[in-house]
Amino acid sequence: MENIIETPKLALTKKDFESDRMVKWCPGCGDHAILKAVENVFPELGIPKENFVVVSGIGCSSRFPYYMNTYGVHGIHGRAAALATGVKLANPELSVWMITGDGDSMAIGGNHFIHVVRRNPDINILLFNNKIYGLTKGQFSPTSPEGSKTKTSPQGTYEAPFNPGELVIGAHGKFFARVVDTNIKMMSQVFTEAAKHKGTSVVEILENCVIFNNQIHALITSRDTKDENQLFLEAGEPMIFGKERDKGIVLRGTNLEVVKIGENGITEKDILVHDPHTEDSGIHVMLASMMPPEFPAALGVIRSVKSHTFEELVWNSVEHEKKTSKLKNVDDLLHTGNTWVKQ
Amino acid sequence: MGELKLMKGNEALAEAAIRAGADAYFGYPITPQSEVIEYLMSEKPEERTGMVVLQAESEVASINMLYGAGGTGKKVMTSSSSPGISLMQEGLSYIAGAEIPCVVANVVRGGPGLGDIQPAQSDYFQAVKGGGHGDYRLIVLAPSSVQEMSDFVPLSFDLAFKYRTPVMIISDGLIGQMMEKVELFDQMDRLTDEEVIEKYPWATNGKPVGKERRILTSLDLDPHKLEKHNHHLQAKYREIEEKEVLSETLHCDDAEYIMVAYGSSARIAQKTIQLAREEGIKVGLIRPITLWPYPKKEIEKYVQKGIKGFLSVEMSMGQMVEDIRLVVEGRTKVEHFGRVGGVIHSPEEVLEALKQKLIGG
Ligand SMILES: Cc1ncc(C[n+]2csc(CCOP(=O)(O)OP(=O)(O)O)c2C)c(N)n1
Ligand code: SF4
Ligand SMILES: [Mg+2]
Repeated sequence: MENIIETPKLALTKKDFESDRMVKWCPGCGDHAILKAVENVFPELGIPKENFVVVSGIGCSSRFPYYMNTYGVHGIHGRAAALATGVKLANPELSVWMITGDGDSMAIGGNHFIHVVRRNPDINILLFNNKIYGLTKGQFSPTSPEGSKTKTSPQGTYEAPFNPGELVIGAHGKFFARVVDTNIKMMSQVFTEAAKHKGTSVVEILENCVIFNNQIHALITSRDTKDENQLFLEAGEPMIFGKERDKGIVLRGTNLEVVKIGENGITEKDILVHDPHTEDSGIHVMLASMMPPEFPAALGVIRSVKSHTFEELVWNSVEHEKKTSKLKNVDDLLHTGNTWVKQ
Repeated sequence: MGELKLMKGNEALAEAAIRAGADAYFGYPITPQSEVIEYLMSEKPEERTGMVVLQAESEVASINMLYGAGGTGKKVMTSSSSPGISLMQEGLSYIAGAEIPCVVANVVRGGPGLGDIQPAQSDYFQAVKGGGHGDYRLIVLAPSSVQEMSDFVPLSFDLAFKYRTPVMIISDGLIGQMMEKVELFDQMDRLTDEEVIEKYPWATNGKPVGKERRILTSLDLDPHKLEKHNHHLQAKYREIEEKEVLSETLHCDDAEYIMVAYGSSARIAQKTIQLAREEGIKVGLIRPITLWPYPKKEIEKYVQKGIKGFLSVEMSMGQMVEDIRLVVEGRTKVEHFGRVGGVIHSPEEVLEALKQKLIGG
């Protein structure tokens, strides 16, 4: 594909991506911090500003395209994944960012979501998981924990929730990461890795809806409990966490287990070392599934595996056909198959 | 006299579903009608009557849950607002084809697309002309008060079962959200499983010995059989057109001009009548209550009486006006006035339109 616009040397800053639209999220909503992190990341990616497209579905989170000074598409509730696939296939030069909520992507858009992950086009999905329908004012979502009391479940839900990481990896996902909205530095670092990954990258952001589901991630994010409940994963590093950095994850039998370093003869050598690049998704799923209070929540890049992107495969086959087909133009096409000459 | 309550239209609809003896409600939140499912959940209908209420994962899921639950001969209902109702159109077509009774409420908002969450009447075409594919009809009822949001629920269930057809209640964000006094009807009993088996031999409600196996379907690969099925559906629709038309007239006896308006627009038009008559303009109102079947005979009656013109007042760019023109066939003037996008017309604006489009012009 040819790039039509000649782009001058990039010297973009955060300012270039700030929109002049009034941001209409509630004061204190986690979405504000996510916006800041994305504004940090975009100018650093070496991508011309006009090549960014921010695509979304419907929800508070999906108002995102209005707040970025880039091209944007505000799509249909649940359909952003299909829409983003269309954008990327039509013009693979574009850097496509899909913004979605837990209702948008896991409920009404669950089908499109697993299919975009399975096909693996090079798009970046930011999944704002506040475990509630924010825009429609507080009904439970497919990620709300069992027993959640909401406007449509005053007695508590009795449905088993989805864990987005399990779903992504189950759908043959090649990249899954998780971050918290309370840490802009962590978000910026992980969004950058997601952007660099070739293929569909899904980043689950544990986001706080102050109005309808306040403190839903408190165990993982609040000052007094976060050290014991966050495990930030880094490639090649042992899975150690805790305020004193004295706890770790080991594999015992077929299960993960939390151990204390120094107790029962456990040393740092016994702790699992993170390998996000291994094809085998076994440990990745187990990591994605870990949740407090039994386990710390795994944050950072959990899985990042190289693979062909969907658009490469599609465009390669188009190129291949162009080279090998006997048909070189429309005239050739008109004279193939069932044609005859009028005498 | 029944119990009196001050309620939102959406709440009245939900309360009426419980009282009408509905067996199940399936729905997905959307503004401006999320109060329907929220009210139902808070009322613990499973304790009050044994009714099942479930938040589905989408409107496509809701309508298919309705297809299934309705297919067992139970009283089932869903509600949504415009974009969600669009998603249900495929299901409604199948349900109409398979002749399953059910009730669907649309609390209309401004469109097209995501539009906004303010009241509108721009889903008229979708409701009365099909919406989904194939030759089918919905019975469409248009409440214009919170009272009718309640009253039309048992009426809809009766019609749905009488004709084995989906029935739509079409209101809008104004009626859904506003609070008015409602006189609630008394609790009706839910049918027992035995009664359902007895009353609805077509339903997939178990196979008592000696009865035929039943498959609910809208498929028939034999074109002649499918044509026959279509004729059967049409015969049913003709019967509905003959017997089930509902409308109301106001100040039409001495009227020179008539406004035609339903739902919220009819409420506004009532005020316009008052303003017009203070100025000596003799105007009346025909309020279609069933949008399909349409009150053609009522309109024809006033054409025959030599009315000078009709003004279709609707919160749309002009949809219902086409149905009036189909009756009038050029014999008198038929004009349209409407505000859209969630803007509600004022009685004064309507009067002005009446003067400019009918009287002056
Ligand atoms: C077809 C359709 N159904 C329902 C809605 C109403 N609706 C808008 S956003 C939303 C859920 C939002 O929840 P989520 O995706 O978690 O986003 P959040 O607001 O929490 O960021 C719903 C039900 C809609 N816009 N369209
Ligand atoms: S409702 Fe919740 S998610 Fe939506 S803007 Fe407000 S705080 Fe954020
Ligand atoms: Mg949400």
